[in-house]
Amino acid sequence: MKFNTKVIVNIIGVLLIINGFLMLTSILFSFYYNESSWYEILISSIINITVGGLLFFFSRNYSTSNLKKRDGYLIVTFSWITLSLFGMLPYVLTDQIPTFTDAFFESVSGYTTTGSTILDDIAILDHGLMYWRSLTQYMGGMGIIVLAVAILPFLGIGGMQLFVAEAPGISPDKLSPRIKETAKRLWIIYVSFTVILFFLLYAEGMNFFDAVNHSMTTMATGGFSTKNESIGYFDSPLIQYTIIFFMALSATNFTLIYFGLKLKFRKIFQNEEFRFYISFLSIITLMVFAALYVIDSSEIEKTFRTALFNVVAIITTTGYASADFTEWNTFLTILFFLLMFFGATAGSTSGGVKIIRHIILLKNSFVELKKQLHPSAVIPVRFNGNVVNRDIISNILAFVMLYIVVFSLGTVCMALTGVDFITAVGSAGSAIGNIGPGIGDVGPAETYSSIPTIGKYILCTLMFIGRLELFTVLLILTPYFWRDH
Amino acid sequence: MKIIIVGCGEMGFHLSKLLAKEEHDIVLIDKDPEVLEKAEILDVMCLVGTATSYKILDQAFVSKSDLLIAVTQSEETNMICCTIGKHLGTKKTIARISNSDFIHRKDAFDLNTIGIDEVIFPEALAATEIRKLLKESAAITTFDFEGGVLEFVGIPIGKDSILDGKTLKETDYLNPDQNFTPVAILRDVEDVIKNKTIIPRSDETFQSGDHAYFVAQKNGGVDRVLALSGKEKLSIKNLMIYGGGPMALVTAKHLSKKYKIKLIEEDRERCEELAGLLPRVMVLNGSGTDVDFLMKENLEYMDAFLSLTSETEKNILAALSAKETGIRKVIALVANIEYIPLAQNMGVDTLINKKLIAADFISKNIRKGDILDLHSIPGVEAEVIELEVKEGSKITDRSLKEIDFPKDAIIGGVIRNKIAHTVRGDFKFELKDKVVIISLHESKNLVESLFK
Repeated sequence: MKFNTKVIVNIIGVLLIINGFLMLTSILFSFYYNESSWYEILISSIINITVGGLLFFFSRNYSTSNLKKRDGYLIVTFSWITLSLFGMLPYVLTDQIPTFTDAFFESVSGYTTTGSTILDDIAILDHGLMYWRSLTQYMGGMGIIVLAVAILPFLGIGGMQLFVAEAPGISPDKLSPRIKETAKRLWIIYVSFTVILFFLLYAEGMNFFDAVNHSMTTMATGGFSTKNESIGYFDSPLIQYTIIFFMALSATNFTLIYFGLKLKFRKIFQNEEFRFYISFLSIITLMVFAALYVIDSSEIEKTFRTALFNVVAIITTTGYASADFTEWNTFLTILFFLLMFFGATAGSTSGGVKIIRHIILLKNSFVELKKQLHPSAVIPVRFNGNVVNRDIISNILAFVMLYIVVFSLGTVCMALTGVDFITAVGSAGSAIGNIGPGIGDVGPAETYSSIPTIGKYILCTLMFIGRLELFTVLLILTPYFWRDH
Repeated sequence: MKIIIVGCGEMGFHLSKLLAKEEHDIVLIDKDPEVLEKAEILDVMCLVGTATSYKILDQAFVSKSDLLIAVTQSEETNMICCTIGKHLGTKKTIARISNSDFIHRKDAFDLNTIGIDEVIFPEALAATEIRKLLKESAAITTFDFEGGVLEFVGIPIGKDSILDGKTLKETDYLNPDQNFTPVAILRDVEDVIKNKTIIPRSDETFQSGDHAYFVAQKNGGVDRVLALSGKEKLSIKNLMIYGGGPMALVTAKHLSKKYKIKLIEEDRERCEELAGLLPRVMVLNGSGTDVDFLMKENLEYMDAFLSLTSETEKNILAALSAKETGIRKVIALVANIEYIPLAQNMGVDTLINKKLIAADFISKNIRKGDILDLHSIPGVEAEVIELEVKEGSKITDRSLKEIDFPKDAIIGGVIRNKIAHTVRGDFKFELKDKVVIISLHESKNLVESLFK
């Protein structure tokens, strides 16, 4: 099989250069907090830029004219792996996350917006590194390829291939006839909301550094925090409600947000997935609130907020925590575990299976029930009033099946590394859904530091597979991909 | 009148035949010479070619023509044809369409601006008729005048009807408020081709098997007529439609808000398409003549069965077998006008014919100014027209007794200032009265001359 190697190398080169320059911004915080680690960060950045530059230079005479689907999948997968490898340099060089495994895990968890950490005490990280950690999530949130498509002039043709391979959901809606414009608008919305969130958090009493970090990791639905207690540290209702709102917003289809900005509210409320998303959030929150109220009825508002915060954090796959949901009771632990498989809406920065897939499959099952009564009836599955093509349904069926298979394999492999049953299940579910906290030894109050080395690599693989929506990575692992026919 | 008809399909052929009979000069254009061959029997000029070609239109004397009617299968051809024709000098254009947007979204785009004066959407007209027939389920024909002040209703006379075997005079007591008038009877005589249309006089006897037609006043009259049929009024909720063509699609769409519909179509792919277009309809893949299959889908619980495929024979057959299973309201689409009496005599009494509906529409347009409204009834050799009493006409300010009203015609009612009146011998016609008349084809010119 012949690949368009030059383009692949070229794009990875460009991405490394971008990565390097973004890394440079971390140094500002190092200087501000007077940290000596600026030197290592600078070195890391230079390595990124140099390697990227060399790759770019030696592949400069490529032609995009024959960029194929195959190339697109390769570019996306290898870009994410390469970025994770080069993005971990600051952790390793500064020796603040000394082992290669831990640094790689932290880096992958960052780029894939999972938000799992191996740091038992986050305070050992310098501010510059903490910022870099949040920034990796920020890049991963909207997708670094989407960013590349938006700003690089040469990705016009073939950009769609890359976009599809990376964007979350079934098929990306185009906000504009040109993919480049679409990517640009997505990033503009993304950045604008981050800036707004930053000012809100700053005004509500967070310090500058925390506000920057949390606004980035909230919009990315990532979940890295600068505090060990995550958002629980900020015991201000205002801050928590603000973060809840923005988590929910980031997990909303960006196409809908775009309509909202254009004041086309009817389009938003007519969207079936959005309606399900909102009703689902509300119902689960009320359930959790009721369950918590039975345990402790002293502070109603706080109980409600805790319920809402943690439900939104898990469904949006952000993975912040304001309390440890594994400590409440078995019912809630199981509920939160199941929530990990829902995901929010397609076309957002969230991970997981996504609500649209659940709706369509449920509707399809319902249709199958109806067909038992009327064997010759032709009943289509409808979504947003349109008929869902059989191809899409079978694609979703395959997706969900693969999701279950990958999750199960992941769980089994985790169990082989020696962790207990609950931890195996919880960590695998959390990793493939890009959530962050799991259950068992990796609950919201714990970290992933106790996971054996091999287990960490398994989880990294699951995070990649989950972030790139299964097909992109799994396709490369199939023999067909490497054959001509 | 000089008329150009584009497209020699069922619709074009029927229109040509009808209009040629009425002494109009017809030029018929079609691109298929084989299709045109069958029109050779008509007294019309046939042209082979594309009607969007200027040359062909010139050969059809477009600049001197009064009317261009484009009724090909293709909506786009029809529209372009009208636009070109209008620019080349025809006075009026009518295009057949198959997309209701052109009717409903006039605010967005008025077709007049591109030279299309009228549009005809036969499927939608037929669907409207079906809707009315389902509403008045005991009726086999129904349409109204002046927004429903007067209504034309046909009912079958069965053995259980109170009218069976009685003369009009004898049944007069059933009409105490004088709010309906019997206007026509369709009778099965020993003639396979045709049924006999009778304009009834007071000594005429109703027989079982007849179709009796009335003009009734909206308030009270219609219900009374429907009660005469001896059938109780049934409220229709569940429908089965057989067929997946344009006619069935438009009808199902039209009716799906009010009724629960099961639609049956044989072609699997078309089923998928229909299921997408008709969210509230259950689309079934199967044959409408396969009774076992229909029974599995609860045919016996249906209140009505509509046979709307493009094949008349299938429609009649399916309608008959549906009737056998006891469905009380059965409507069939019959394309061949020759089959209408046959179907009626076999018991499929409610028939829909797109050609008749379309022809009514066109005739109404041609005779605009002379007549207000026009309808024809499947199988009945008469037309129902609405005329206005004008200044200086023979009928103005005279009573019915004083004028020599043709024997083959009858006045169903008069609408004066939106109020309906039943006409007796001493009724005096006033200016601006709107008169509903049922007339056999032979006397229709005579009738119209009274109003000139």
